Amino acid sequence: MSEGMTPIVKNTARLISGFIAVFGIYIALTGHISPGGGFAGGVILAAAAVLIVLAFGRSTAERIFTPSQCHLWDAAGAGLFLVVAMLGYFSGGFFVNFIAHISKGQVGKLFSGGTILVSNLCILIKVAAGLAGAFLALSAFRRQGVDAADIVVEGGQAA
Amino acid sequence: MSTGIYILAFAVLLAGLYAMVAKKNIVKIIVGLLAIDYALNLMLVLVGYREVVRAGCRESGLPPILAEGQTPAQLAAMAVDPLPQAMVLTSIVIGLGLTALMVAMGIRLYERYGTFDTNRIRRLRG
Repeated sequence: MSEGMTPIVKNTARLISGFIAVFGIYIALTGHISPGGGFAGGVILAAAAVLIVLAFGRSTAERIFTPSQCHLWDAAGAGLFLVVAMLGYFSGGFFVNFIAHISKGQVGKLFSGGTILVSNLCILIKVAAGLAGAFLALSAFRRQGVDAADIVVEGGQAA
Repeated sequence: MSTGIYILAFAVLLAGLYAMVAKKNIVKIIVGLLAIDYALNLMLVLVGYREVVRAGCRESGLPPILAEGQTPAQLAAMAVDPLPQAMVLTSIVIGLGLTALMVAMGIRLYERYGTFDTNRIRRLRG
């Protein structure tokens, strides 16, 4: 196990990364009745992915999510958001809340607000996949370094 | 109370400006730019903040979320302005994209020159 951090970090990451991911999904699911929303939840979900990449290293993390999967989900989130917006034409126009025309739900309950919940989920997918893909791409740069081993890291302290 | 936080936002902005102007390390310059970004976000949220009169005494405004059994008029009387908060959310997203771009450029520079010191990143190389 040359890649990644020490076993303490790995076990801690193994223990808490699932809880972080569930909390991100919760933040997105209750985005229309409490603080949070699709973007905040997606960032928290991507933070779990970043934790996995940092603790276990890039090659282990790519067994869970690869850059091409991230691209796919990124595009799928944007496409689903567009689909939700276009479905509004069934009850009048672009971005019209067509679910609220059927049943409004009760203020403060989970199933209320119509398409806002669905839109938040689409944003969750897009943001989480986009951020995780961006971090994977950034972590790839170091591996491709031409002479990364013999470079002396010098902090640019003003002398 | 909010005057103190305005001063805090200005102090964070000055600290970020100092890091951008005086430091030579590219990572520190990026962190300085981010500090300025967050100082501006904090100031924009503070613009929408207000104190409300509730039960005869002045209190801080509530978050603009409609609670159960509350009319919109009741909420509008007690909540802070939600518009700057929505704008700051956009600003945070833009800052995130900017961060990713700057970090990617910094990594490319490090690969090319083997240093983060801007004094040594001068000549064309390779």
